[in-house]
Amino acid sequence: MNQKGFEPKIIGFLCTWCSYTGADMAGTSRMKYPSNIVIVRVMCSGRIDPTFVLKAFQDGADGVLIAGCHPGDCHYINGNMKTMRRYPLMVKLLEGFGIEKERIRLEWVSAAEGEKFSTVVKDFTAKVKKIGPLNWSVQAGVSKEASSPGLKEARL
Amino acid sequence: MSDLKNNTHKIGVYVCDCGSNIAGMVDVPEVVKFASTLPNVAIAREHKYMCSDPGQDTIKKDIKELGLTRVVVSSCSPLMHEPTFRNAVQDAGLNQYLFQMANIREQCSWVTEDRIKATEKAKKLVAAAVERVILHEPLKLKEVAVNPNVLVVGGGIAGIEAALQIANSGKKVYLVEKSPSIGGHMAQLDKTFPTLDCSACILTPKMVQVGRHPNIELMSYSEVTDVSGFVGNFKVKVKKKSKFVEQEKCKACGDCEKECPVERDDEYEMKMKKRKAIYRYFPQAVPNTFLIDKTERPPCKITCPIEQDASGYTALIAQKKYQQAIDLVRKKNPLPIVCSRVCYHPCETACRRGDLDEPISICHLKRFLVDWEMEKPEERYKKPEIKNEREEKVAIIGSGPAGLACAYDLRLLGYQPTIFEELDVVGGMLHTGIPEYRLPKKLLKKEIDRMKDLGIKIKTNTKIGKNFTLGNLKKQGFDAVFIATGAHKGLKMKIPGEELAGVFDGVEFLREVSLGKKMEVGKRVAVIGGGNTAVDVARTVWRLGADEVNIVYRRTIKEMPAAAHEIEETQKEGIKITYLTAPLEIIQKNGKVSGIKCIKMKLGEPDSSGRRRPVPVEGSEHEIKSDMVIAAVSQAPDLSFMDPSLQLKVSKWETLETDPLTMVTNQEGVFAGGDLVTGPATVVEALACGKRAAISIDRYLNNLPLDSKPIIEAGLGRKSKDDIPKIDVKEKYKDKPRKPRMQIPGLSIKERAGNFKEVELSIPEKLALEEASRCLQCGPCVECFECVRVCEAKAVNHSLADQTVELDVGAVVIATGFDTYDPVLAPQYGYKKYDNVLTSMEFERLSHAGGVTGGRILLKNGKEPESVAILHCIGSRDENANEYCSRVCCMYSLKFAHLVKEKTPAKVYELYIDMRSFGKGYEEFYKRLMHEGVLFVRGKGAEITDVVENEEEKGKLIVKCEDTLLGFVRRIPVDMVILSTGLQPQKDVAEVTRLFTIQRSRDGFFLEKHPKLAPVATATDGVFLAGACQGPKDIPDSVAQGAGAAANVIAMIDKGVVSIEPIVSYIDPEKCAGCKLCLTLCPYNAIEFNQEKKVSQVQEALCKGCGTCVASCPSGVPIQYGFRDEQILAEIEGALESETLAVNK
Amino acid sequence: MTKPKLALNWTASCGGCEIAVLEIKEKILDVANIFDIVFWPCVMDFKYSDLEKFKSKEIDLCLFNGAIRTSEHEHLAKLLREKSKVLVAYGACACEGGIPGLANQFDKESIFQRVYVEIPSNQNKDKKFPQENNDMPEGKVQIPAFYDTVKSLKQIVPVEYFIPGCPPLEKTTWKALETVVKGELPPVGSYLGAGDKTVCEECPRKKEEKKIKRFYRSHLKLPEPEKCLLEQGIICAGPATRSGCEGACLKANLPCWGCYGPAQGVVDVGAKFMSALASVIDSDDEKEINKILEGIVDPIGTFYRFGLAGSILRRRKISQEKKG
Repeated sequence: MNQKGFEPKIIGFLCTWCSYTGADMAGTSRMKYPSNIVIVRVMCSGRIDPTFVLKAFQDGADGVLIAGCHPGDCHYINGNMKTMRRYPLMVKLLEGFGIEKERIRLEWVSAAEGEKFSTVVKDFTAKVKKIGPLNWSVQAGVSKEASSPGLKEARL
Repeated sequence: MSDLKNNTHKIGVYVCDCGSNIAGMVDVPEVVKFASTLPNVAIAREHKYMCSDPGQDTIKKDIKELGLTRVVVSSCSPLMHEPTFRNAVQDAGLNQYLFQMANIREQCSWVTEDRIKATEKAKKLVAAAVERVILHEPLKLKEVAVNPNVLVVGGGIAGIEAALQIANSGKKVYLVEKSPSIGGHMAQLDKTFPTLDCSACILTPKMVQVGRHPNIELMSYSEVTDVSGFVGNFKVKVKKKSKFVEQEKCKACGDCEKECPVERDDEYEMKMKKRKAIYRYFPQAVPNTFLIDKTERPPCKITCPIEQDASGYTALIAQKKYQQAIDLVRKKNPLPIVCSRVCYHPCETACRRGDLDEPISICHLKRFLVDWEMEKPEERYKKPEIKNEREEKVAIIGSGPAGLACAYDLRLLGYQPTIFEELDVVGGMLHTGIPEYRLPKKLLKKEIDRMKDLGIKIKTNTKIGKNFTLGNLKKQGFDAVFIATGAHKGLKMKIPGEELAGVFDGVEFLREVSLGKKMEVGKRVAVIGGGNTAVDVARTVWRLGADEVNIVYRRTIKEMPAAAHEIEETQKEGIKITYLTAPLEIIQKNGKVSGIKCIKMKLGEPDSSGRRRPVPVEGSEHEIKSDMVIAAVSQAPDLSFMDPSLQLKVSKWETLETDPLTMVTNQEGVFAGGDLVTGPATVVEALACGKRAAISIDRYLNNLPLDSKPIIEAGLGRKSKDDIPKIDVKEKYKDKPRKPRMQIPGLSIKERAGNFKEVELSIPEKLALEEASRCLQCGPCVECFECVRVCEAKAVNHSLADQTVELDVGAVVIATGFDTYDPVLAPQYGYKKYDNVLTSMEFERLSHAGGVTGGRILLKNGKEPESVAILHCIGSRDENANEYCSRVCCMYSLKFAHLVKEKTPAKVYELYIDMRSFGKGYEEFYKRLMHEGVLFVRGKGAEITDVVENEEEKGKLIVKCEDTLLGFVRRIPVDMVILSTGLQPQKDVAEVTRLFTIQRSRDGFFLEKHPKLAPVATATDGVFLAGACQGPKDIPDSVAQGAGAAANVIAMIDKGVVSIEPIVSYIDPEKCAGCKLCLTLCPYNAIEFNQEKKVSQVQEALCKGCGTCVASCPSGVPIQYGFRDEQILAEIEGALESETLAVNK
Repeated sequence: MTKPKLALNWTASCGGCEIAVLEIKEKILDVANIFDIVFWPCVMDFKYSDLEKFKSKEIDLCLFNGAIRTSEHEHLAKLLREKSKVLVAYGACACEGGIPGLANQFDKESIFQRVYVEIPSNQNKDKKFPQENNDMPEGKVQIPAFYDTVKSLKQIVPVEYFIPGCPPLEKTTWKALETVVKGELPPVGSYLGAGDKTVCEECPRKKEEKKIKRFYRSHLKLPEPEKCLLEQGIICAGPATRSGCEGACLKANLPCWGCYGPAQGVVDVGAKFMSALASVIDSDDEKEINKILEGIVDPIGTFYRFGLAGSILRRRKISQEKKG
């Protein structure tokens, strides 16, 4: 259901040492890529809590990119291994919620791979564009009102 | 946290133009307008350069005057300027962590093409930062003490400079260098551009300083194997490879080098020269000591049960040092004459030359030696001297090889061994088992006489159990006993008819023959079995005049246990071998043997011994006619002697049980070995048993605990294939000319019939020399110990082992340098194909006064070149190799041109793409070379060929290239071509990256923290870079960087403490339920379990703030300061709902 | 003085909570004495109209169990909110959507399809579904609208307190009543009768470091009684679940199902639980990891057994194709 002029919202969770530096590298070397992605920096891909991913989709993201150091190159020895373990389960879970697995992606991007980063973003953005908007609150039929507002204290 | 959210905040948002870097693509005023509509934003401003002082001052001013509680700067990457702005915030009295950065340059303006989209994205980034910063909390920088010691990895010029600077500032420096000497590539250079001063002259003094510096601990020939800890406190493991020469003793006199028989390509001389197996890296090496190259240890030696120095004496023979050779043999082998005749030589099976063509015939080289010795025994046989006599007596039962070896070694240690022998002949199986034609009795006697001559007592005709018992040996004053009575009992075939007359037992038969008993043999003799005994019996029977001898064996020749060359000889002598046939019954005619009823066999599944088990073929019964049957199936020890009172432990194979290495039985002071313990085995294995026992008995008599260690150290451990270092022989020695092994002269079949003359004859010297010179010397050290012999300083020690040391350092400088491009990868240049195509490093050594030609520039044929072409950019600026420019090639190429001009009258061509002669005095040097008449051709060399097209090209190398100035293709005939090979990362760059958790840039070199502002720092605090490991550099730049890195390190150490981001994890003991799930997840084991509180706790000092535990805790208890869940969730919300947020206000 | 007024109500629930109330046994008589029970459809006959007669906030305490599934539930929730001083979400369904919340993996259409057509015992050839408006001989009859999405109570109306559990423990119920009677009200949003930590705290089993090579659903393996179930590979929600149940299931050698809901401060129970399980997988090899993860057959059912409606994403995406 490709929509004309649809610009997907994409959140990228990047580890600071490899992937975020890689993304900066793409910048310093002026490699262009779609502006859809907004990057959230964490120290290690191992810090990326699945809650973040769910939250991103809930808040209207159409796609989520997770990027960390290549296996073996993790600045924190093996933080990225935890991500490697969580990722497939996360995909499985999201599919359970009816969220296409093409909307989430794990990539290993080293500090030197500015080019890789921009290609990944280009490719990912294109793919998400193709699937069309997720627009969670509408499609899931739930409006995202904050729970029990107003109540300050209880009185008898 | 939540209360924080509810508080209203005054946030200042500052959007940077960064000149046009941001403003050029992002509508900054628009972003500012947007920002000011966001909740809690008190002020939003635009500034041309936020990082400038005025920029920072506006922040400070606003904080003071508007009482801002939070600050957001949206400009470049936080990796770039976060510290700058944090400091500004801190200066204004606001905690520096109440600040957040939005990266709208690297990740927005620079990567977006559409101004509107870029502006939208910038808004999102700002909104995200604003939402996040609201939830920020004040944090304190963590400070840890810095260990003042420093590790410098790599001893090239950059490493040397760094080490010296740091050491001069009074800090302790560990300089680790992989190769045997520091100096790196610079030590190989001849002159240096543009000043043309000699490389060694300027480098050597610095190297010497390093060697002498009290604050520098130099670890050459060493490698870093493990790094842990973090900035200020690293733990580093360094492996110091053994040089087998004790540094402090070595005087570097070089005597050892002269004696060493092994030649290897000299890496330092770019393989244009040879060096010895014991060598010095180069004359000015620091440390200036020799070392031995033992990288691949000779398999012949390793596989020998007594570690006979096979490769050693082979090498000595090749040098005609026969005396040293035989001495070396005798050092470990008490029965060289015997072994030279009968050894089954596992050494030859393992010989690496075997993978090439045929193994060295090691055993026969020994034969040559002992024969050579026997020519003039009086002068050539050196009777070993017994240093200190001791009175302890040792009883040795059995005079076989095991007994003799044990007695011999004990005697040399000064003990008084007495051998008790049942028969009146000495030697056990050597005498009664091995036929005369293989081992002449007189030779055996010679060995035994020499033993007696040493003072070993031998009592013949004394049978244990008959003339004496083990029990009363002690009473007779023997302090220890070694039992080696062998396995002389032939096993029965267990088939009907075995008791008939005309059926003999193999061992028994051989014994009788060897004891001189006249044996009648039949006309048609059948020998049952496939072992050495069977073969010996058959050949003996043949010599005794049987018409037809037939060996009947159950399996095929492949499974036959007898030695291959023995089987060969057997067949030559016309003896028939019937394979896959087993006897069922011995048929008789009136009480005498008439034949054997046999059945055909086929091979089934492999059995325990790994050999395929033979199974009978139905209905294939048949008869083999024979009037004499000799069973040589197997032997077992005869245990009838055993004194039950001793209760020696016996295995289920009827052998005596001992410790496999110490050879001690279950009885104190009683040892055993040889076939008695191993079951029927070989001579050299028996020797090993005897020698092991001797070591144990010596320890026992010195009241030392029995221990297998000294036995293994003596090379008497059990050997396995895995002990041999694996190498690809075919590849490594592909240039080695093939040559078959020598043919052993021997008696013709006619000469052998009817007598027991020794079959194999002595080997002529010429033959031996040729054979010995076939040895690959694969060790490479052959362990002939000539170096030990000639070293007056007693510095050489072949048993020095590698050692690993652990260092504590506060900072690390990585200066691992570069590797050069290998032009073999670009075949069009004919490197290695044409003699006179050189790489730049090869030319350096060629032109170097210490090099192969003593500094004269000569062709391979020794003539001076008339013309030389220098090809630039080989492996650089080339998509097929490395895309980058190697920066130094243009200049050193000019230097080469100058050197050629200076030393020869040759014409010199420089084929270049662009001349890159930036740098002090470089351009001037270029000019100078033009004046010197060098011919510059703009165009990259395309191909080198020797296909000539005209007279003038005859005998030349033709360089093809397009002259892009003249605009046509040229063919330039020259005598010599120099390839200006580029620089590339070291081969082990990936491992180093991992060890120190740093990064690499696209070109593969190490990645600096910032290409402009932090060229010697890395993303990993406390790890710095120097020299060409960070990218191609010339000497001045490398030295500058070395000094730069040093300055960084010194500054860090002198500060005494390093501040560490306080972004550590914290676990609230009030919330943690102690499920222990997080414990395994922390890469640094920073989480410990508090037993009495039953909760997990983060040890701040160890936590490096990756946050893995935070993301993994099922109950969401751990938090990461600066990266709390709430903060990140808010950031996400901000990024995705920027519009709604704005209108909400 | 007049007795404080007490209302109890059930919506989408199994009725277990009602029984849980009676778990206080003879004390129920005290309740009857102390309180004036004004509304308890499960036990006595009340009309909604009676409820509507009350003045706003006239009822002192309302224990509300069950999730919100139909328009009727929503109406009652709003009504009772309006009439009650203190509204308590009683039991897992009211707190987090509970088991009924698992229906959020489907929508009205597919549920009806299943319940009224596919189920083998059904006799519904012409595929009739319940209609909101029905013309009957007696005239128009309305039945409540069935929603696509199950919600927790607090997703409909503000709630003072929560009493988790499926069902809540007897002593918890009693304590809740006491608090109100004594008038010592804890801060809004408190969970009554629940701990601040997770079930692991109350679990008697021996806990060590965890490394999982294979996952077992509870019926696949007989657990060792002393050892932490997770360490045995048995999927146990204990570490991700609020304490207070005294580890009842674990004492019965069963894994925790997570009925007490997420630990305090956790935004999404499934995400945390899942992340934890995956992180301790004992392998760094992609293939092997996937192999091991095959042991988790039904991620949503496993990680959101009681919390789907209350989770971040709340439900499965409603396929737009079907909606047209």
